[in-house]
Order: sequence, then C-alpha cells, then structure tokens
Amino acid sequence: MAEEEFSVNVTINGTPMSLQVRRKWTLLYLVREVLGLTGTKYGCGTNDCGACKVLVDGKAVNSCVIPAKNLDGKCVVTIEGLQENGQLNILQQAFVDAGAIQCGFCTPGMIISATALLRENPDPSEEEIRKALDGNLCRCTGYVNIVKAVALAAERMKEQNHG
Amino acid sequence: MAERYREMKIFEKEIAERGFRYVGQPLPNREAEMKAAGEIRYIDDLRMPGMLHAKILFSPHAHARIVSIDTSKAEALDGVRAVVTWKDAPRIIFNSAMRFYMDTSPFDMPKTEYIFDDTVRFVGDRVAAVAADDEFIAAQAIKLIDVEYEILPSVIRLEDAIQPDAVQANPYGVDGSNICGGRVAYGSHDEDEVLRAVEEAEYSFDDTFHTSRVHHGYMEPVTHIAHYTRDGKLTIWTSGQNVFCFRDVIATSLGMKQSRVRVIKTVCGGAFGGKLEVMHEPVVALLSMKTLRPVKIRLTRQENFMASRTRHEGILRIRTGVDKNGTIVAQHVESALNTGAYAGSGPNTVGAQSGKTFILYGAQKMFYSGASYYTNTPLAGAMRGYGCPQIMVTRETHTENIARALGYDPAEFRRMNVVKPHHKNCMGNDMHNARIVDCIDRGVELFDWKRRRARAEDGNDGAQAIVHGIGMDVAVHGNGWYPVYQDITTITLRMNNDGTATLLTGTHDLGTGAKTVLSQIAAEILTIPPGEIEIIEADTDVTPLDLGAQASRTTYIGGNATIMAARNLRGQLIKEAASMLKVPKDRLELEECFVVDREEPDTRVSFEDVVGSAQDGSAGNPQRELIATETFESLDSIDSYVAVFCEVEVNRQSGEVKVIDLLSVHNSGKVINPATYEGQVHGGMHMGLGYALSEEMLIDSESGKVSNPTFKKYHMFRASEMPKIHVETVEDPEEAGPFGAKSIGECATDGIAGAVVNAVSHALGGVKLDRIPLTPEYIKEVAAGNKS
Repeated sequence: MAEEEFSVNVTINGTPMSLQVRRKWTLLYLVREVLGLTGTKYGCGTNDCGACKVLVDGKAVNSCVIPAKNLDGKCVVTIEGLQENGQLNILQQAFVDAGAIQCGFCTPGMIISATALLRENPDPSEEEIRKALDGNLCRCTGYVNIVKAVALAAERMKEQNHG
Repeated sequence: MAERYREMKIFEKEIAERGFRYVGQPLPNREAEMKAAGEIRYIDDLRMPGMLHAKILFSPHAHARIVSIDTSKAEALDGVRAVVTWKDAPRIIFNSAMRFYMDTSPFDMPKTEYIFDDTVRFVGDRVAAVAADDEFIAAQAIKLIDVEYEILPSVIRLEDAIQPDAVQANPYGVDGSNICGGRVAYGSHDEDEVLRAVEEAEYSFDDTFHTSRVHHGYMEPVTHIAHYTRDGKLTIWTSGQNVFCFRDVIATSLGMKQSRVRVIKTVCGGAFGGKLEVMHEPVVALLSMKTLRPVKIRLTRQENFMASRTRHEGILRIRTGVDKNGTIVAQHVESALNTGAYAGSGPNTVGAQSGKTFILYGAQKMFYSGASYYTNTPLAGAMRGYGCPQIMVTRETHTENIARALGYDPAEFRRMNVVKPHHKNCMGNDMHNARIVDCIDRGVELFDWKRRRARAEDGNDGAQAIVHGIGMDVAVHGNGWYPVYQDITTITLRMNNDGTATLLTGTHDLGTGAKTVLSQIAAEILTIPPGEIEIIEADTDVTPLDLGAQASRTTYIGGNATIMAARNLRGQLIKEAASMLKVPKDRLELEECFVVDREEPDTRVSFEDVVGSAQDGSAGNPQRELIATETFESLDSIDSYVAVFCEVEVNRQSGEVKVIDLLSVHNSGKVINPATYEGQVHGGMHMGLGYALSEEMLIDSESGKVSNPTFKKYHMFRASEMPKIHVETVEDPEEAGPFGAKSIGECATDGIAGAVVNAVSHALGGVKLDRIPLTPEYIKEVAAGNKS
C-alpha cells in the first residue's frame, strides 16, 4: 500500500521547492534524509536539546517535532543557508574565534538560535544571550565561550553597520 | 623521571629556551570552521550506497528468560532485509570493556556478555535486531517480533545487591554473590593495622556517602555503521574512543581474525568516556553479514539513556584518624559501585578509584577496599573521572566534617595534609611536581576565601530563607595508567614532497582539540606551521597503535610520542641537509621550513629541496622517504591537581541551591593550548555541577526501568542556569610531560561536586550532607531538620 503523500511548497535556504512528503516525516527528517542537509543534527527527538534547530519564518524551532506536511508556504533556513558567498558569516566566524566549538554537535543549533536572537535584538545583554540559548544543550563548553561568541558577533555586526 | 627519556627532555628544554612559537598559543580547534559551517560529517551524516537502517528490540523486563521468539511477522514486512536474535549470534562470551587482547589487567575483568543471549538482565538488554530500508520500517518491524518471557527474580538497588543473601543479577557473581570480578583491597599497611590506627588516633571520623548514577549526556547519540563484504572483511565506523580495543572486542565477539576487521573512528560529537566501550557494533555487524550491505544504527535519546553506559553509582565509607596537631595519620576507604547487569568496566573502575586513595593526602597509613556489584540495571562504564568523582566527593565532604569538628579553616586543614612536591606518599611513590598547595593558596587569595566565608556566616544568622555558603575542595587525577599496565602510543610523521608533513596517530580527538595540540607540538619542533601538518587519526588499518582516548592520557602520552617522532624526523632533515650543504650536522637548525647553518644563516635549504634530495639520492645518500615512527612508553606516574572554590545561595524553604560563583585552580603543568585547555575545564565544571545538583538517572526499584530517559527529565544545566565560572592555572612544568604538560580532561570534573556540597553545608550552618545530587527535596528536608 502506497503511503499517503502531501504536497508542500516550501523555501529552503532561499530555494523554492515543491515537495511530496509523508505523514511520518519531520522537518528534521526532510532536511537530513531527503535533502541531504546534514548540518542539522538529531540530538533527542523530543524537543529538548536544540541540536536540530532551524529557522522557520525567522524563528528558531526544533525541527525534530515539526511535521514536514505542515510546512506549506513556510521559509526554512538551515545552518547550510547561513554562510555568505561561501564564507562563514560573522556569527559563525565568532564561534570559531571565541573557542566556542569543541565536539561541535550542538554548534549548528546554537548558531541558529543566536541568529534568531541577533535579528530581533542586535545588542543583547549576557543575560539575554543565555536566555536565548536555553533551548540548546551543550556538554563540552559550559556555554562560556558560546555566550562570548554571540556577544563578539553582536559587537562585530555593530562595527560593520557603523563602519 | 624515567632515565630512558633524559636526552629527549634535554632536547625539549633547548627548544623551550629558544622560545615557543606554537606551544602555548590559543589556536582554535582544527575542525572549528567545518563545524561552524555545518559541513563536517559525523557518523550519522555518512551516506553509503545501499545502506540499511537498524533498530534493536530492547528487553522490557529487568530479568527474564526468553522462552520463545517469533520473528516471522517482522521478516514478512515489506522492506525488512534481516532479523537477528540470540539464535543467529555466535555463542562467544566477551567483555565489552576489555582493554587488551592479552588480558594484562591486575583486576579480574570477567567475560559476561554475548551479542545476544537467551536471558535478558536489564530493561534495555538486547533481544533482537532488524535491518530495513528505512528507519520507519525498522521501527515497525521490531514491534512485530513476538517474545515470550519467563520472568526471573531481579535485584535493582545497589543497597540490596550488596547484601549477603541478595538475589543474583546474573550467574557471574563471585561465590553466589553479586560481586563482579573480585574485591580490590590493598594499602600501605595491613587493613587491620590501618583501622587500628584510625581508632587509636586522637580523633576518629567515620562518614558514608551515596553518589548517584549519571549519564555522560554527549549530544551525539550512539551511532554505528558496519559493512561486511563478500571477501570476508568487516568495516566498522564508530564515534568511539578506542579503535584498536574495539577491533579486539568486535573480532573476538564474532570469532573473526583481526586482519579481517577494520575499525574507523568518525568525527566525535562528544564522548566523555561514554563511547570507550563496545556497544552495539557487533549487532550491526551481524545484520551486515546477513545482507552484505552497510547497516547503520542510531539510538534514540531514550534508548541511549538505557542502552549505553552510565557512571557507576557508589556507596562509599571513609574512616580517618587525626592526631592532636591536625595531621591525618590514617585513612580507610571502603567502596561499593553499581556496575549494572554485566561486568564491563566494573573491576577496572574500582581499581582506578583505589589508586586515588593514596595520591592526594600525605597520611602514612592508608588502605582501600572496594568492589563493584551486579544489579539488573543499565550498564555502568567509563565516564570522565572513572571512579574518581565518587571517592573525591565522599572524601572531601568527610574532610570538611573533620575540619569543622576540629575547628580548622577547611582550606588550611587541607593545605596541612595534602601531598607536597617530590615527597614520597604512603605507598613509597614519588609525587613528582604535585603543586596542590600552590593551587589552594592561589584560590584562597583569588576567591577572597576568608572574607567571603566570614561575610556569609555573619549574614546567615537570622531566620531568613536565603542563606549563603562558601566551600572548597581538592582533587587529583592521573596521566595515563602507568604502572597498572602497559601505556604506549606510536606516532608516524612523514614529510610530504612540498615540505609539509603528515602525522598519523591512533589517538582520538573527541572534540577536545587533541589533534590541534599534537599539531602544535610537532610544529614547534619541525617549524612547519600547525595548519600545514595534516593529522590522520584512529583507523586500525591505517594508523599506528594507540590505546584510546581515556585515562587523561592523550596529551601526555601522545604529546611525548609526537616529540619523539618529530625529533627523529628533524634529525633526518638535518642529516640530508648536511650532505647537501656540506656543513656539519651540529651546526644545522630548523627555521621556518628551512634547514639553516647557524653560523652562516644564508647557507640554507628548504624542506622541499631536502625531501627531493632524499628521494632522488642527489646528495649521495641512499634514496629514501623521510618518515619517522616512534613509540612512547610511559614510565612515570604523574598526577594533575585542582583546588575548587564555590559560593552558593540556598533557599531553606524551597530547598533550591543556586551556585553563584565557581573557581577551579588547576595544576596541569605547561599548558600547550590555553583555548582548548580552558574550554575543557569549562565543560568539566558544567558536568560536575550537574553531578552535584541536578543530574540523576532514576531507576524504578520495582520494574528496573529508567524513569527519566529524556533531556526534559534528566536535567543538565542550561546556559542561564550556569554560574560565573573561572579557571586559573598553576603552570609549573612537569618534567616528564611533553614540554612540561600534564592532563586536564578528567581533573576538570573530579573536584566540582565536593566544593558545591561543602558550600551548601556551610550555608546550612555546617550540617552533614551524605548524598548527591542535592535535590530541592533533600535540601528542604535537611534544612527543616537543621532548624528544629
């Protein structure tokens, strides 16, 4: 018996796509297993760890609990969609420079959450940064250098805008 | 320091005197850019043609015999390619934590595991497995397997398992008990003599402490791929910590020759000891043997909590005798650890724990007696600290009780009693450059210890709900496992034709920056920038032997081996250049990828030309490749130390504990890379905070089920819950270490819980606390009792 399929029109990393998706597919399954965008990670599958965060219409959400069939008309950005002209963007580079990356498994999700934060609040306090990252677990860094990286990125973005 | 390496150490000093170029630089993790881009491939990101997806049926019962198992419905499902049960598995018993093919461990490491058995011994034990075209079909198929179980009596709680008449969790316990392997018992004197010395001392103390079972909580779930091909070759990709040991265990479990098994380490998304032991690799291997296709399994997070490894739960008792001058004269440690349903690391963890008894305090009479016990619960195994956090938190809370009872400042009492540099401990061992006193002194000053303690005490007088406490403790960890058993690694360094180099190592980088550190060490000697030295890691068919990323050995053992190989290669470059330049070898030096005449700096030749000359023999030497392979053998038992300082705020009504400030002062010798070093300490502090306050795997005492197998219910600290954390370093070099370096990985976690518990105890007016985690319920209860 053929499985029921749903048509969705969705923009992924700037490219509009018409996709046939199945009931069981989550957004995470769609990007990783169907589209091959493996930068987004499976960490828990229960909406708890943030390793699978992507931007949906600008909001950072856990893709592991979003049914792919609900994406019609949505705009999705994954970690692969953040680089600019093939280069790491300011935030990604700040993660490298601040020593925020160890095992790196939480990194894409962290960067997605921080992206959403900085778009909404370009000058966040340390407390606001920590709050914005509360949905993302990291076991390697104690968050110290991740928080620093987001602050560093905010500073560099400010310089760029005033420069 | 070992005589054998005297010359090498002199060479290191010469390099150091010239001034470091790369050692000591805070270089970012080599893979950071790939990781930031989301482009690096972890194992779950690998795609292979024809790859199948596996799912394991895990036991729902704590202890049961499989009466019958019917897989016909699962096999009939469209898209299912193979099903395996105990009937398909070789009847070969093994130990998934076996370290050496020839078992040289002084601790009995019982073989208790099969790939599948006809009896299941914990909720999460393996019953059957399926390989299918996709994960949805595999998940559906395991639900179609009909199993009839005969329920057997079980023992879940450690407190029950240690009783003489306890139910046996499995048939392997010593003499009908649940003791795994055997008791580890030794000391500086006879046990009776040490106990007598405790009792006869001016003051005697006796405390028992309970430490919880916690999980590593690495973000990358356990994932393996196996591909068995028609030529009889099995390749395993796994995000593990010990490929050569994995090859031993996997080949043994399947009855294969090691030349037919290849284990490749993939980019690791965190491990912390949790990926040191073979888990489900033999299962995917069996499925691949049936299908001749690559088979992948990735555990769900819930599966990962019950069917991987955890930290050993512990019940420890410490008895200490102190003389009238406040000197600890005798100490007796007794330990029971919960190893779960199978042996795994049990006896080894007890052994590692035993060693920590003797290397922190200078008492001259000490004895350790401990054992691990089987229970029908998930398997314990290696986890950052490996038996150490349990003994540290027990002893450091006990030490706090002693200092309080005798009226000493806790920092001062420890300062009086800890080991000193180059002293002999009670076992007669040299303590090398043990700078724990310096750590305490630095911390007391930086933390403003005395004033803050007094201020907290003054402020806690009233009946207010919120009280403050200041606490500290000390801890120690080793560098490898000398002299318990062999500790070697081999490094190959080869010159590429353009004057760059490639380093091959069996060492595993778990995200800690091990590859970055080795590249800095090699670069320092060869003068090739670290980025131009490629590092190839951990592949049993490609890289030389290593014994795994464990025991805080990577920088110490791998770093020393890198120095040996780089020094050898440097000698080859100089020898060839001497022939080319017709200058005596002792006048030549390496400088930014040139071999240079020290006396006539314009007389020089590039590495590129040296390599060309060596290969074509144009300088008159035999044609050859410039390549060096060296094995480093650890011959020194050296230790890393830490003093931890902590301030907490405790709500006596709600029982909530908030850590305000946390400082770790480490003695890790020369720091090779301050960025990756500090990063590791930060992570270790995070892990220790969870151990102290919020993390515990809860196991239902009736069913044996893990009742909190999600990150919602198993609480690791989140970003906004973290206190301010600070890292300081007493950077006095350790002669035996590579350029003076010592380990940091495990020491970063070992001392955190004790400092937190002591601070909470201080906040509550010196009440004795006897277990972790300090849940709000527990603290509320203690605070209420304290008030009445």
